[in-house]
Amino acid sequence: MDTAAAVETEEVLKPLYNSEGKDVIIDCEKLEYIASSGLRILISILKGAKAGGSRVVMKHVNDDIMTVFKLTGFVDLFEFEG
Amino acid sequence: MKLKTNTSLIIIIAAAVLLQGLSAVQYYYTRSLLADELENRAESEITAKAIIVKNALNLAENSLNGHIWDLKRNLFHPDSSYSVMELALRSHPNLTGCWVAYVPNYFPEKGRLFEPFVWWDHGEIKHAEIGAEGRDYTQNRYYKAVLASDAPLWTDLYEDIVSGLNLVTYMMPIHDGKGNLVAMFGLDMSTEQLGDTLNYRHIYPSSYNFLLTEKGQLLAGPKHIKEKKVQEMTHIISMINDSTVERSLSNSGLSTVIPFKDADGDEGLVFYANLKGKPKWKIALVCYDKEVYAQLKNMRRTIGFLMLLALLALGLIIAHYVKNNQKLQQANLQQERIGSELRIATNIQKEMLPHSFALARDDIDIFGSLTPAREVGGDLYDFFVRDEKLFFCIGDVSGKGVPSAIVMAVIHTMFRMATAHENNPSKIMQTINETACEGNESNMFVTMFIGVLDLPTGHLRYCNAGHDRPVVVGGEILAEKANIPVGLFADYKYVMEETTLADGAMLFLYTDGLTEAKNLERQQFGLNRVMAMLTDCPQNAAQLVERMKQEVQSFCRGAEQSDDLTLLAIRYEKVNREKVLEESIVLQNDVRQVKTLNAFVVQVTEQLGIEASLAKQIRLAVEEAVVNVIDYAYPAGQTGDIDVLAMSDGEWLNFVITDRGVAFDPTEKEKADTTLSAEDRPIGGMGILLVRELMDSINYERTDGKNVLTLKKKIEVKSEQ
Repeated sequence: MDTAAAVETEEVLKPLYNSEGKDVIIDCEKLEYIASSGLRILISILKGAKAGGSRVVMKHVNDDIMTVFKLTGFVDLFEFEG
Repeated sequence: MKLKTNTSLIIIIAAAVLLQGLSAVQYYYTRSLLADELENRAESEITAKAIIVKNALNLAENSLNGHIWDLKRNLFHPDSSYSVMELALRSHPNLTGCWVAYVPNYFPEKGRLFEPFVWWDHGEIKHAEIGAEGRDYTQNRYYKAVLASDAPLWTDLYEDIVSGLNLVTYMMPIHDGKGNLVAMFGLDMSTEQLGDTLNYRHIYPSSYNFLLTEKGQLLAGPKHIKEKKVQEMTHIISMINDSTVERSLSNSGLSTVIPFKDADGDEGLVFYANLKGKPKWKIALVCYDKEVYAQLKNMRRTIGFLMLLALLALGLIIAHYVKNNQKLQQANLQQERIGSELRIATNIQKEMLPHSFALARDDIDIFGSLTPAREVGGDLYDFFVRDEKLFFCIGDVSGKGVPSAIVMAVIHTMFRMATAHENNPSKIMQTINETACEGNESNMFVTMFIGVLDLPTGHLRYCNAGHDRPVVVGGEILAEKANIPVGLFADYKYVMEETTLADGAMLFLYTDGLTEAKNLERQQFGLNRVMAMLTDCPQNAAQLVERMKQEVQSFCRGAEQSDDLTLLAIRYEKVNREKVLEESIVLQNDVRQVKTLNAFVVQVTEQLGIEASLAKQIRLAVEEAVVNVIDYAYPAGQTGDIDVLAMSDGEWLNFVITDRGVAFDPTEKEKADTTLSAEDRPIGGMGILLVRELMDSINYERTDGKNVLTLKKKIEVKSEQ
């Protein structure tokens, strides 16, 4: 999800900003790359979920993405599976 | 401190006890000496006066003895004895009367009792016959005693009825030629004068002598004495007569000593001895301790007083020395403490200087030296590399020693803080100045030179705040514009200057401790000598600094270092690497161009054979950097070009992103805080964070109206296929 892709997908993902108490599970199996714009979307999802009392779980995150998560401190904010 | 007071108190007390002990020993020793002396003198006096008494007695006796023969020849007629008696009477002034008591009926015509008598009556000698039945001298005990013993004797003291005087009489028997007792011959002697004679002079003022008969009756004593003294004397006499009263023999055995205490409680001694031979009268001498030891007591008092004074003086002296010692010790302790604190401070200052001159870079050779004049100093220098720029400074706080060191520490911290996110030397100087002016009560100011050298290009921006102008060896002297030193006026606007350092240029910075270093003749090292030294300067920064230091130190040999000496040399070597790859692309400031950008980066990384994960990181960093430019460089709605240049020398992969937009330095932004919780995290701000984290260096320059952002990453090149 480079910056251009993020801009495109933001509209699609906007409903997730308010998960209404439901947990959000994001399958990152096919996610190779994420830019800061993509990270921004994730943060927004997380804020919404936290406000509703639910969790955000990231699944199947690969090593490169994990590196980025570590650098940005995201590793402490989200839950990870697989 | 209490302990010290106690110590001096103990010393005083010990000295006092010692002195008291010594003086007590001396006192008692002296006293016993005086006691012996008293005995000697008393006995001498008694002896002398005994002789006087004896003489007086002898006179009477001799007189009697002398006239006996005459009398014997003049016994035929009752009146014939008068002339002899008169002669006898005149023989000594103490004699008051002379008589002859004939045995009963010796001269029948005179009656049974016949006693012719001559006596002194107011200077005239009178005659009389005093024998009468009413006064039967034969019944007189002394008459009887002489009759019995047939030997002369002295009577006890009695009061003469007629004259009222106290008399003693010496009488002896007179025999005729046939040895029959004929009469008694007697001489009366007054003891009044004897008393006077005895008490004429005394060894001590209150001393007095008296004479006692064998029976202890007072014969003669001091006249005209007070009633109290009479009582005293009576008391003493009774003591002598009372055999139960303890007495002792003197050392010489010549006299007897009885201690007494009078009504007032004064103590004394009475010495007495018997007269030699007959009569066994006692002569006594009374002495008062008060007088005997009066001088001793005075001496003791005086010495006691002097001792007290001496002890007081001693006490004061000791207290003074103890206090001084304490003060000295405290001063020493304080000095030691200050000394050790200064040593620590020296180390702290040393720690503030850059620890290592090895920057692990090819483009910079830097070396500095700081020698404070005292334990701590007011000079400083500092340097570090950030974002491919060398930030350096050199400064001099007014004054030297601890106050300057404190200010130096603050300035040093300010330099680091101000350069964390600011590349513009004048802005950096401004920040430092504002802080330095705050709360600067003591008006300490700092001359300072700050430089920011862009290492890829050699472009040097600097700001000089009143400091000694640095020298580009073989070239220009920097800082035409000299701003005022830091710490004076908070609103002063600092002006920056720019130049470019050529490849191999050596920049030399110093403080006035170098140019103003003085030798013993008070000459200054001077700028000329510095410049002369620089003309033949070594290529190595460390060597240059060391050489300069040696020169100035040998110049000043012997003289005390008057100011902190600081030298900093920077040699710039532009690094041109052989390019293995150089590709570029031009983009529009549209986020949709990201795809094109990424494709470009992927191509570059593949060409260089960079491993996949690393390549992805580089891709992300470059994307974030470019997106940043896309978002901020050009005003909204305006299109603009963004050049992306990729360069590699095999060791490093550099991306240079150039745009002609507004001046914007992404390196100035603070990194996003990754420790914030989800709720506190801002939505954005992670782009630059990623660039910094993923790339090895990020460098921004504004050149010719263009923003130039350089990202560098060290890569490992796979062996070429």
